[in-house]
Amino acid sequence: MKDRLAAAVKLSRADYTEIRVERTWSSAVAFRGRRLETATVSEDQGGFVRVLNTGCGWGIASFTSLDELPAMVTRANELSRAVRVDEPIRLAETRPQTGDAILELDGDVRGVPLAEKKQLLDRYNGAMLAVSDKIVDTQSSYRDEVSEVWFVNSEGTSLYQLRPEVVVSGTAIARRNGNIEKGLESIGLRKGWNSVQTFEEQFRVVAQRAVDLLAAPRVRGGAYPVILDNELAGVFIHEAFGHLSEADFVYENPQAREMMTLGRRFGKRVLNVGDNGAAQGLRGTLPYDDEGTPTQDTPLIKEGILVGRLHSRETAAKLGEQPTGNARAISFRHPPIVRMTNTYIAPGKEGVGFDDLITDIKLGVYACGAFGGQTMLENFSFTAGWGYMIRDGKVAELVKDVVLAGNLFQTLDRIDHIAGDFTWNQMGGGCGKGGQFPLPVTEGAPHVRIEEALIGGDI
Amino acid sequence: MIDRLLDAARGKVDGADALWRREEQTAVSFESGRLKAAGISEEAGLNLRVVAQGRMGVAGTTAAKPDPKELVARARASAELGEAVELAFPNASPQSLPPIPTFFDRTANASLSELIRMGRLLVERLARPDCQVNVAVQREVADTAVGNTAGARGEYRATGIAVTADITRIAGDDVLMVYDQYVGADMPSDADLEALVRSVDTRLTAALKIVTPPDGALPVVFTPAGLAAVVLPLEQALSGKTVLQGSSPLAGKVGEALFDVRLSIRDDPLTPGRPLSRPVDDECVPSRCNGLVERGVVGQFVYDLETAARAKTQSTGNGRRGVFGKPHIGYTNVLFRMADGPQGGAQHAAPLPTLGGGLIDDIQDGLIVDDLIGVGQGNVISGAFSHPVGLAYRVQNGEITGRVKDAAVAGNAYDLLKKIGGFGTDGRWLGARWSPSLLLEGVSVARR
Repeated sequence: MKDRLAAAVKLSRADYTEIRVERTWSSAVAFRGRRLETATVSEDQGGFVRVLNTGCGWGIASFTSLDELPAMVTRANELSRAVRVDEPIRLAETRPQTGDAILELDGDVRGVPLAEKKQLLDRYNGAMLAVSDKIVDTQSSYRDEVSEVWFVNSEGTSLYQLRPEVVVSGTAIARRNGNIEKGLESIGLRKGWNSVQTFEEQFRVVAQRAVDLLAAPRVRGGAYPVILDNELAGVFIHEAFGHLSEADFVYENPQAREMMTLGRRFGKRVLNVGDNGAAQGLRGTLPYDDEGTPTQDTPLIKEGILVGRLHSRETAAKLGEQPTGNARAISFRHPPIVRMTNTYIAPGKEGVGFDDLITDIKLGVYACGAFGGQTMLENFSFTAGWGYMIRDGKVAELVKDVVLAGNLFQTLDRIDHIAGDFTWNQMGGGCGKGGQFPLPVTEGAPHVRIEEALIGGDI
Repeated sequence: MIDRLLDAARGKVDGADALWRREEQTAVSFESGRLKAAGISEEAGLNLRVVAQGRMGVAGTTAAKPDPKELVARARASAELGEAVELAFPNASPQSLPPIPTFFDRTANASLSELIRMGRLLVERLARPDCQVNVAVQREVADTAVGNTAGARGEYRATGIAVTADITRIAGDDVLMVYDQYVGADMPSDADLEALVRSVDTRLTAALKIVTPPDGALPVVFTPAGLAAVVLPLEQALSGKTVLQGSSPLAGKVGEALFDVRLSIRDDPLTPGRPLSRPVDDECVPSRCNGLVERGVVGQFVYDLETAARAKTQSTGNGRRGVFGKPHIGYTNVLFRMADGPQGGAQHAAPLPTLGGGLIDDIQDGLIVDDLIGVGQGNVISGAFSHPVGLAYRVQNGEITGRVKDAAVAGNAYDLLKKIGGFGTDGRWLGARWSPSLLLEGVSVARR
């Protein structure tokens, strides 16, 4: 396949040409309540061509019929030449990469009968249903894939990557009269069948929590000291700060560049943040990004100071910085754009734990788990799965509907305490941007304390 | 292709239905006011569902030359693990399908330079100092064919065009984002594009001044864009699937008056000029308009074939399927409207001289909410929502006094929609939903 792509690149009349071809084998099982929804095996394949000419814009073609490859290279070149630009688009220099990057399959999902996958999910789904007769509905899904990705460009890069993935998730819906609550568990790994065998207890716990939330009051809206658990702190750093560190947000916008000037103070000295696409065995991990650039650990905030950002080759060239291996596409249907990989808040002092964070809070909120988050750059929202009130330095009653409404600058600056209990949160789902969803990412963090944050709700 | 596939299935299964779809897209994008990229995308796929020995299975492929036998074998293997179901495959002939224009020559034939011209027009009209303007224009032509072993066949060709524009204005640490779109099956006129420009302009201008947010239980006008948090719980609860599963708060409430007597909600795949309109659904069920809520009374839930079979009712023509996976329930064009009021029809973003749809005159202190952050991420179906504002304006003594930041609104859709303070005169399409602004009373507003 590499030779076939190299031949097509060679025939291209454009100044720069890249071709990405993907073949993805996947299987999926889903339950709704006690009923099986689907059990399927699928194969998806297609190609993506992107070309650039001096004085012209990008020409792009994506397609499912690989027979069309040579025609698509020609078509992309025509499209590029139809787009005249006054300021040339440049790509940062990178060393051509060649080789095969085979990630560990840890039990090749292609060799496991679909019936066994159904059995596994039935076990997890059953664990949720067995918790209580108040669990009226569940949505459980198992999905695995092995994706083969070939990437060849006109600068001599020629890569083959094998990327496995497996995701198991479950939502338990509890109901009592008109009151409905949910609990959510999701495990996403860049691994295989062996890695998802032992999660029964986690599924039971989320179903029990959905039942417990039926009797929990809504949190009262207002400003509180807030402690985020590891999972929510991870979602927080991804949403609140990660998206702003993507250089495509600033590279064409002078005001945004000023706001995100390297060297600007974003937080107290306790705060260290980075993005590491080269971390071992995580869902956001990739040896190379979708422009063929090797991934790396990129520091973004060091001791409270902005020190870096995430780049594609185009944004790096524009800002005179180095590519970081963050140009990613969710599939051959899309161009690579600047995205996160594994984003983290680095742990604080070893030995500092949750108890050290809570002890001097008189009235506050302990926000746990994440239903999701969304950012509008300066402002963001993240929805906790559940929460507890903190009263006189102790965890008190369970509360529901905990949504943090945040302003990036104020909130980062108000992080005053970070525990040493770092974990990666290997969730399913993914990140959405520019119509590309879900992109596999991982977030990692310890417990984090915000001096004051706004919680929405009745007041 | 459909016939060959169904022929290959016949004799090996109790019954089958299939969908074939081929899509071609052409897109141009302007970044920071500059034309940056042009692209095309071509994709074709085939989806097969079978019932074999009483059990259901599915298979799909994007292979260029799909092998019908292989696809049937894979669907049968899926069915071996599947659940028993008695699907009643419909047998509507192509002649019996309702007439609805889905294909517009002007859209299909628009040249690349015409798409670029429209984008450039918007970029020029929206340009202003210290603002970054992004514009994207995307045109699609899709051929769909559906069929089943009961003899039903349907095919249609549909066009769609989406023009989106967003402005980002950064002043110090203040980030303001304003967005709007034109989405239709037919090309926008220059007047449509001008309406889009005015919509963005009006909202941007009113947002330049920042004011302190109010707090308390207040009257809030939700614009068509801001209304998503309020209508999403209803769309989930009106799905026959959540009703069947017992998680819908509306289960068992058909015929009950739960909402303001002036509120009607319809799902209408026969609306002219909309990209989701179609003569037949993805399971060969002829399209029809469904009244989900009529004058405040719960009317009808939406169903696909399988959910209808399990609930012992009829499909409402809301079957939707992709290349992979099995058919599921999907809405088409949802009209959220005042009974006896404007019906939606083919209109798009109306010229917008002021915000609030004429509903703010009597507001002493309150908000206009145009965008909320994180909609769809909470415990949606319960009706409860709580979101920080993305774009909202304070209203004092009947006037917009400026944009508010760092505020959050919360409420319960079911409580708020019991009594609607007013329906705006600014009804419009936004994606697949038509609605005017709604004035809702007693919405919780919290500020830092």
